[in-house]
Amino acid sequence: MTIEINRIDGDTEAKGSFITNFSSQKLLGQFLVLVTPFLFLLIWHLIAAGTTPLILPNPYDVFMRLVSYFINGRIWPHLFMTTQEILAGFVLGSVLGLGFGTLVSESDIARKVIMPYIIVTQALPKFALAPMLVIWFGFGMAPKVIIAALIAFFPLVENTFMGLTTTPQPQLELFRALRASRITTLLKLRIPHAVPAIFSGFRVALMLSLVGAVVAEYVGANQGLGALIIVSQGTLDTELMFVAFVILTVLGLCLDWLYGLVYKIVLVKLYGKTIDDVSSSTTRLSV
Amino acid sequence: MSGVSNTITNQEKFDRGQIEVDFITKSFDSDAGNILALDGINLEVVPQEFITLVGRSGCGKSTLLRCIGGLISPSTGTIKISGQVVTEPHPQIGYVFQQAVLLPWRTVEENVLLPFEVKGNPTDKEKHKVSEVLEIVGLSDYANHRPGELSGGMQQRVSVSRALVTEPSILLMDEPFGALDAQTREDMNIELLRIWEVAKTTIVFVTHDIGEALFLSDRVVLMSARPGKVHDIIEVNSPRPRTFDQVENDPAFWKMRQRIREALH
Ligand SMILES: Nc1ncnc2c1ncn2[C@@H]1O[C@H](COP(=O)(O)OP(=O)(O)O)[C@@H](O)[C@H]1O
Ligand SMILES: [Mg+2]
Repeated sequence: MTIEINRIDGDTEAKGSFITNFSSQKLLGQFLVLVTPFLFLLIWHLIAAGTTPLILPNPYDVFMRLVSYFINGRIWPHLFMTTQEILAGFVLGSVLGLGFGTLVSESDIARKVIMPYIIVTQALPKFALAPMLVIWFGFGMAPKVIIAALIAFFPLVENTFMGLTTTPQPQLELFRALRASRITTLLKLRIPHAVPAIFSGFRVALMLSLVGAVVAEYVGANQGLGALIIVSQGTLDTELMFVAFVILTVLGLCLDWLYGLVYKIVLVKLYGKTIDDVSSSTTRLSV
Repeated sequence: MSGVSNTITNQEKFDRGQIEVDFITKSFDSDAGNILALDGINLEVVPQEFITLVGRSGCGKSTLLRCIGGLISPSTGTIKISGQVVTEPHPQIGYVFQQAVLLPWRTVEENVLLPFEVKGNPTDKEKHKVSEVLEIVGLSDYANHRPGELSGGMQQRVSVSRALVTEPSILLMDEPFGALDAQTREDMNIELLRIWEVAKTTIVFVTHDIGEALFLSDRVVLMSARPGKVHDIIEVNSPRPRTFDQVENDPAFWKMRQRIREALH
């Protein structure tokens, strides 16, 4: 923004001040990025000092407990279990979502018949199903995967449908003029056009799978980070609960980072080599 | 251009390049009621002719072109391509739209290859054809670029290449250079004529620029609006090659220009 304005001025003096402004602003930005976490920890520490560890444990104690859990290895089964549930739920929900999204965008009949059920699934409070799923499937992975898949499902259906049905009219007309078959139009035009929309569905689905898996664990599990939170609640071990929170947050960040990486690779494959191309192409695409 | 390997002979193109528009009407149902976009259009385009459709916006030029291209069907009347009634997009027709309509996720080369890919797996010969066509329009160096990296003029050149690559007998062009600046448009016009002379295709070209129409065409079809009709057809007898200067200043062109202007107002 600032760059544009200063260029329009075309004034050397303005340009000079712009450079200093810009670099000092950039420095300030970097400084804030570095300082904010410490500020956050400091405030946490100060509040913790004014309360008991039962209400809010000290960040240092939480950190030490976290380290000890990793060193003695007690965290791994929980972390492994929850990650598995998230990924399994995400994959299951995404595959189903992609399938149904494509189906309802391809066929009017399918849309009329299936869409109401999909909307019912969405309206259904899925977490309320968790106790029943535990009765049906026991305390293992299955109920968690199902809950995660159920809530990951909808954003994929919706985004796939949206992506596949917003192909620009001129491009569709081109394919018609080229006498392209329906399946060719789907594979060579509508799906590539839907990629950005589908990927933003993946992103939402991934985060929802995490929530789904953990909440399902609350209801009945003997392993997993959600189970760890319930156990720590039972023993009034707030510190352990915070350990689980921290791990869940980092897990969520890692999954999102992984998503970003895959998306970038796909975009570069689709649109060319540099990120600049990607952003300009996506803008063009969305127009 | 001499390097173009024709898989279809010029004689074959000649045999396939005729268009007969036989008293067609086209009406659209819309919220505002029934719109009669075309009312009794009669037109015969001979093989390898360069014909332009000129008329004010909304007079049905695009609609007529879409009917000829088989993208929509006329309400009454028939259109024949070399004797064959048009019911669907014709394989012998290449279409150039007002916008370049390139797929942003494909490179220039891949965009031009699209017509072959749509039919099946492109052969080596067809891939070679793509390089040849890109060579003709001067885009060889940009074969691996994405459309987003090209100027508007270059994008439209890719679009023309995509229409030419299948060696169509008929090229339908709907205000293809309308969005370009005057200089680029003149360059594109010169290039198009060069291609037309080599490729021996029939071209139906929509424009609302009188100068462009006079520079390019053998005949100018003047259309009038509401309902869309053929108002007049003007033969441009001036020999080729023509120059823009000539079209601008030659008294012979003045008269035609005058005739078109009067008809349009
Ligand atoms: N798909 C359509 N539905 C309804 N009306 C249309 C449609 N296409 C064109 N028209 C109408 O037909 C008339 C001619 O349009 P068009 O052929 O696009 O004109 P031109 O290309 O000469 O500007 C216009 O009045 C336009 O509104
Ligand atoms: Mg038009």
